[in-house]
Amino acid sequence: MIGAIVGREWRGGLVTPLPWILLGAGQVVLAWIFLGVIESFSGLGADERVASLTQELALNLFGFAAVIAMLAAPLMAMRMLSGEFRDGSYELIEAAPVRLAEVVIGKFLGLALLMTPLCLLPAVNLLMLAGAAELDVGQVAAATLGLWLATLLFCAIGLYASSLTNQPGASVFVAFGILLLFSIVGRAESLTDRTLSLFGWLSWNEHLFWFLLGAVRLSDLAYFLFFTGVFLALTQRRLANRRLQ
Amino acid sequence: METLLRVTDLSRSFGGHPVLAEVNLCLERGEVLGLLGPNGAGKTTCLRLLGGMLAPTSGRIEIQGIDLARRPLEAKRHLGFLPERPPLYPELRVDEYLTFCARLHRIPRRRIAGSIEEVKQRCGLEDSGRRLIAKLSKGYRQRLGIAQAILHQPRLLILDEPTEGLDPFQMRELRRLIRELARDCGVILSSHLLPEIQAVCDRAVILDQGRIRFNDYLVKEQPIYGWRVRLGPRSTLVKLTDLSCLVGAVDMGEDRYRVLLADGADSAELARQVVQAGLELRELVPEHSDLERAFFDLIGVEDDA
Repeated sequence: MIGAIVGREWRGGLVTPLPWILLGAGQVVLAWIFLGVIESFSGLGADERVASLTQELALNLFGFAAVIAMLAAPLMAMRMLSGEFRDGSYELIEAAPVRLAEVVIGKFLGLALLMTPLCLLPAVNLLMLAGAAELDVGQVAAATLGLWLATLLFCAIGLYASSLTNQPGASVFVAFGILLLFSIVGRAESLTDRTLSLFGWLSWNEHLFWFLLGAVRLSDLAYFLFFTGVFLALTQRRLANRRLQ
Repeated sequence: METLLRVTDLSRSFGGHPVLAEVNLCLERGEVLGLLGPNGAGKTTCLRLLGGMLAPTSGRIEIQGIDLARRPLEAKRHLGFLPERPPLYPELRVDEYLTFCARLHRIPRRRIAGSIEEVKQRCGLEDSGRRLIAKLSKGYRQRLGIAQAILHQPRLLILDEPTEGLDPFQMRELRRLIRELARDCGVILSSHLLPEIQAVCDRAVILDQGRIRFNDYLVKEQPIYGWRVRLGPRSTLVKLTDLSCLVGAVDMGEDRYRVLLADGADSAELARQVVQAGLELRELVPEHSDLERAFFDLIGVEDDA
């Protein structure tokens, strides 16, 4: 059942222009950053370099890719529930013998599958340097994993926002709002005298940072998986409540 | 007879405002039930409740004896539903869409291709398998909506305004299809069109302000005694009442009369006698049926046309 929903979302996504536009635009931006980093790195003398090429690229390329994924996920998610509520096609699923959890997981996996090429873009860009420069494959793999996990979180937030309204445009703004909160909440730390590590912990970029440095920590893995799960559970509750409204 | 659907004291409110109240219904196998009512009467809410898309405020729905609220997955396996707007994915092709629907309704993989072929044939979509849903006309979309509802051979079929967007020929085809499907299952359909309900349904339920106002079997082939005639300008009520096939006549003005036939007389006899009496028959239409009269009485519209 989940497979059928994933297949439909994947097929439906591929024939619409949005993922291709996002992938194309993402590549243009990443290529620009890639070239910028390479140029500034190669312009420095060996004693002026503070970090390795892999580290420079991981922090810049993957960091920007995460921002692109953050903007793309709500746009991709909006048609999955919100668009279906508006067009009435969600009624097909409502009347079918399908569990809501299956619907949520199916849609989430479909969305994650559609977003995965975007997560692989930085690594593909780095592949071009293979043979020409020494790259730390382990760090690139860790950064790719971190980017993918962050994207899963963005997808879950996008899907939750999509379940809140039958106006796809409004759902995108709601998702951006939640994502913005999760992005800047870490800065609250600097506003207080005492160190409130909770705010720092809540912010996704703090956790992604460690992945980009090549460290796969259990606490960061747990953070992404936990919040992805929380937003999927909220989506499921939201869909269940629709029957009562 | 096998009871497919049993609805007990079904009520539903939206934000404290009751939309449906104390609805009790039963549907047997082989029966076609028509749901009638003016706009806002609660027809769509009623059908959405039966389809499990809304939870009732109170009351109970059983499909083949399975409680829809407690065991929704099992109950929905027996259910085919066509909402007011066909639930389609415009970016898919017809075959892809039907395959997805088949998998949603848990049809075994080896049977999917056969079921799709059969349903396409039944709904007149044989040549449309490769067509993009976005490019289909309204009538074809409606057909595809019906196709997804009957794909898994449900025991209970719920159709919300199924004739919407269909041309008269397609309407006739759909009527035939519904009668054919009703041999093995029960059908509930809602419509604004009284003749449609009369033509295809065994029983009609009229909803008004969320309550059932009329719930009765429609007797077909019943002789019609009330007729309306329009005659030539030289006609008079006296001349008309002289005809032996009539037991009464009322003048409605502008050479129009409402007449009541005597037992044993029919419209052919009336037409023959009117012509023989030189009254110049210009129109002869049957009076409203019981259903029409009940409907207009309920919604408070006087029909003097």
